[in-house]
Amino acid sequence: MSPVVEVSGLTKRFGNLNAVDDVSFAVEENTIYGLLGRNGAGKTTLMQLLTGQDFATRGQIRVFGESPVEAARVLQNLCFIKESQKYPDEFMVKHVLKSAPWFFRNWDADFAERLVQDFRLPTDRRIKKLSRGQLSSVGVIVGLASRAPLTFFDEPYLGLDAVARQIFYDRLLEDYTQHPRTVILSTHLIDEVSNLLEHVLVIDEGRIIIDQNAEDLRMSATTVVGPRGAVDSFVASHSVVHREGVGGLASVTVEALSPAARQKATAAGLELSPVSLQQLIVRKTDTSTTEFEQSA
Amino acid sequence: MTTLTETTHRPESATLARIFNVTRLHLINRFPIMVLPLLILAFIFLVNYVIWWLLFDAVGVADRQDAIDGIQFSGASSFIFIYMLVVAVQAVNLTFPFALGFSVTRRDFYLGTCVAFVLLSAYYAAIMTVMAVLERVTNGWGLGGSMFDVVYFREENPVLQFVLFLLIFLFFFFIGAATASVYVRWRANGMYVFFAFLTLLVIGFVALTTFADNWPAVGAWFARNGAMGVALWSLVPTTLAAITGFYLMRRATPKN
Repeated sequence: MSPVVEVSGLTKRFGNLNAVDDVSFAVEENTIYGLLGRNGAGKTTLMQLLTGQDFATRGQIRVFGESPVEAARVLQNLCFIKESQKYPDEFMVKHVLKSAPWFFRNWDADFAERLVQDFRLPTDRRIKKLSRGQLSSVGVIVGLASRAPLTFFDEPYLGLDAVARQIFYDRLLEDYTQHPRTVILSTHLIDEVSNLLEHVLVIDEGRIIIDQNAEDLRMSATTVVGPRGAVDSFVASHSVVHREGVGGLASVTVEALSPAARQKATAAGLELSPVSLQQLIVRKTDTSTTEFEQSA
Repeated sequence: MTTLTETTHRPESATLARIFNVTRLHLINRFPIMVLPLLILAFIFLVNYVIWWLLFDAVGVADRQDAIDGIQFSGASSFIFIYMLVVAVQAVNLTFPFALGFSVTRRDFYLGTCVAFVLLSAYYAAIMTVMAVLERVTNGWGLGGSMFDVVYFREENPVLQFVLFLLIFLFFFFIGAATASVYVRWRANGMYVFFAFLTLLVIGFVALTTFADNWPAVGAWFARNGAMGVALWSLVPTTLAAITGFYLMRRATPKN
């Protein structure tokens, strides 16, 4: 598979803040990526750079082999849905749906129509009169029905209720299976999308700290639960990611265990449980715990 | 990539199609930019008509010509030019981030926007010309009123009248576009600097003209060139505004 996006040494500076700080990575074709990170970590800035909406301070971006800045040939294959998308003042939902096919050549009007019904979106309503959730669903519909070879969703779910979010995840997966494409999804609701993601990029303070296959990442840690003494003696020979305990019980997250180590833990009466993607990422990006671990 | 090669064999028509799509995007919602201004104009016309009627009724036959001379310029239709300036500001300020969200390049956005402004200018210039000619042939709607066929901005030839209106509309569209470009590029700070600069420029001009006792010369310039001459001269600021807007927008980013 050829990389759709190739980034090397990319930096974006705002004043004295490096919003994106010397980042390098590649995005493979026809894969769903999760771009995860805390507020202000640099997710939106990175997406704006990849879609040519912002200009890099340093470094190189190649999207479909070219710089995306002012490159119509590249941009025609992109769709960038962002939470803060602005619309022309008096636009109604129907104007968005009518003009979208002029810009997205893979636009599927029937699919868009079905999504409008799924989300119960009033097409005759002005955009500025929509609720926050309805506004988000406009973006979601455009992002899905445009079927762009490279689609970015930047926190597309704001204000969407649980049902609507599930519709989004279901439709994305269904349509992705029938029309494979590259999707980069930034989100805070990591556990909700964890089954969707095939590859995870975690950005923290402008740097990519995890760039890994989602499955490998999930397997990269295990939580060991049991009596404090037994847990402590077991984890002594493993690298500890996180530790917590109540009374005589301890729950310690350690990095990947070998089959032999798993057997040993079970024999010692310890319980092993998988770590959710969300927990893993919280552990890796929460500076207060990492500092605590380092000082401990 | 196979998906990329499709568009490359006819690059010129593809470029034009992309630009034209931006133009269509500006014009898709017709009511606020093509209908509402006419409704407002119709309302103003109605109010004016009633006033002319009252005036016509109140003054005696002997004083009628004098009254008609006094209402040759009312400014009643000038709102439409200001409205188009606002349309231009909105088009650049709000449609720009939207178009970029639709994967449009800044270049295509700007050129497509210019085409939309030229089309809208022609549309309104045509309507204004028709109204001016009607006003002329009906002798001010039978009451000697002037709203479209006003003193100074009067051209006997309808084609020249159309060109005159067209140039004025273009001026307002592109001044609006350039001003909005400053805002889109530098936000509030850009506006402070821009208006501070503009104020200094205007004050400077007024001061120089006053100190040099040149106001009669300024008046004479307007009289000598006539409306058409002044309108043709307006092509200079209009073109400068259009070019400035292009370069400002080429480096603009859609901000939240």
